Amino acid sequence: MEILSYPFMQRALIAALLTGLISPAIGTYIVQRRLSLLGDGLGHVAIAGVGLALLTGQAPIPVAVVVCVIGAVLVEVLRQQGKATGDVGLAILFYGGLAAGVLMSGIAGAGAGALAQYLFGSLTTVTTSDLRLVAVLGVVVLIPTLGLAPQLFAVSSDEDFAQMQGLRVRLYNIMIVVLAAITVTLAMRTVGLLLVSALMVVPVAAAHNLVRGFYASLVCAMVVGTVVAVGGATASYYADTPPGALIVVLAIGVFALSWPISVLLARRRRVTPVLPELADDDQQVSAHDVAEQHEHRHRTGCGHPAVQHGDHTDFIHEGHRHAAHADHYDEH
Amino acid sequence: MLMSPVVQVTDGAVELGGRPVLRGIDVAVRAGEVLAVLGANGSGKSTLVRTMMGLVPTVRGEVRLFGTPRADFREWHRVGFVPQRVTAASGVPASVREVVASGRLSRRRAFWPRRREDREAVEQAIDAVGLSDKARDGVSTLSGGQQQRVLIARALAGVPDLLVLDEPTAGVDLAHQEVLATLLRRMIASGTSVLVVLHEVAALAPLIGRALVLREGRVVHDGPLAGLVHGHRSGHEHEHPSPHRRLLDGTVEQSWRS
Repeated sequence: MEILSYPFMQRALIAALLTGLISPAIGTYIVQRRLSLLGDGLGHVAIAGVGLALLTGQAPIPVAVVVCVIGAVLVEVLRQQGKATGDVGLAILFYGGLAAGVLMSGIAGAGAGALAQYLFGSLTTVTTSDLRLVAVLGVVVLIPTLGLAPQLFAVSSDEDFAQMQGLRVRLYNIMIVVLAAITVTLAMRTVGLLLVSALMVVPVAAAHNLVRGFYASLVCAMVVGTVVAVGGATASYYADTPPGALIVVLAIGVFALSWPISVLLARRRRVTPVLPELADDDQQVSAHDVAEQHEHRHRTGCGHPAVQHGDHTDFIHEGHRHAAHADHYDEH
Repeated sequence: MLMSPVVQVTDGAVELGGRPVLRGIDVAVRAGEVLAVLGANGSGKSTLVRTMMGLVPTVRGEVRLFGTPRADFREWHRVGFVPQRVTAASGVPASVREVVASGRLSRRRAFWPRRREDREAVEQAIDAVGLSDKARDGVSTLSGGQQQRVLIARALAGVPDLLVLDEPTAGVDLAHQEVLATLLRRMIASGTSVLVVLHEVAALAPLIGRALVLREGRVVHDGPLAGLVHGHRSGHEHEHPSPHRRLLDGTVEQSWRS
């Protein structure tokens, strides 16, 4: 392993390892909250941070961390107050951050070219002080991500219920976006700010295909993320390409491989049928349970699967069966 | 000593988006009581329960939980909440056991690992709803009725003094309703208070001690269920409603048809 003899590669590989470990961990909660593109938006805000650092002559990572965290908190607070819907807030993040970053690096005389190494990663640029910061902040992110896993899981999957468990939901939501913001910034030397979101989401999607359960997915995603990050960084040394691109291509490769595996596993586990067995006994009295207010008219070929149920036809509608009865539908 | 009501709303009013949803609400759920909240879609029955649980703010009046003003209430382990079943599966599929375990968080401290009593309570709750053989399965692979039972188990995991169910019978079959009735009967026997939102009394009728009927955000009936309907409906009585049944149709069903 001659590449391990170069100090810059040692630093790059350690940075890749940490990035691969924490990105899917926080990414699991982001996916659970159905905010898969949040990481992308935060990456764009971090570009503004890099631009600011170039303009002021500071080290890019610390400035980008601060700018990205402020942006993340701002958007989450706006979302909680209902002042900006999730996607509008993200759009403002995307365009404002990218424009500000390019603008500031242009004024600094660095041009858009100087930004490229932060957009797609660059192995040779990881300094010793960068690595120290990445390691410290990586641990700072990992401790709550794993230590508060039950709380973060509850908040990400059902906010109302989490609040009724006495959890401070708003605080936990802000914590999730702040941890995501730090993670995005730390990843800019390895995967780069434009592709980091992929490392937060794709390993989670692959894990979803391979294992059952939330915590198993979390751990599996971290393993996948670490393997592709270290593997991609190593390969990019030989291929002489930006590491971010290879890391993401590898992650998507793992996801593609996990697809047929999930089909095989599902067949072996024999997923429980969503509908119970049809009652053959016509004598059996079923509850007269009127379906919720129902504009749609079921008919053959209306898009809802039809099943024969005794002497009539039921339509499968969001996991239960509707049967026409007078002017409404009954639940069967 | 006089026991304070489990939940008490005094002169409660709620607005959602500037529109009045509840007005002049005075309700108390007494300890050990089974109170059903009935009413048409849009009558405010879910909002009433969500207001009691602190999920919706009041514009007037006071809500007390176990005698404590809602804003100061901290003993959330005493309340088990079963929301309306969410049909959309979450982004990362969770197992039955994981979902039920989140009902234990009110009794756990952050950063502390699960204790043995936490694990036992989770297994007991899963067992109580009859899903022990599916504890490792993904919630999204279960039927609607089974998913509803997972949410009930999650509420039971905290061993609450008050169980709150929002339309637990909506969209589930009769067999599931019987499971639910059996379960509630056991909870009631052990002294748990129950607050249940229903738009169809159905299989739960024999259990209900008192019924509150809402109409357009106001209480129009507060008293025994017997004053509304005799016996419980079990079959397709729709074509031939009995005289007793008509009262319930009049107050509950026809209003939501209109």
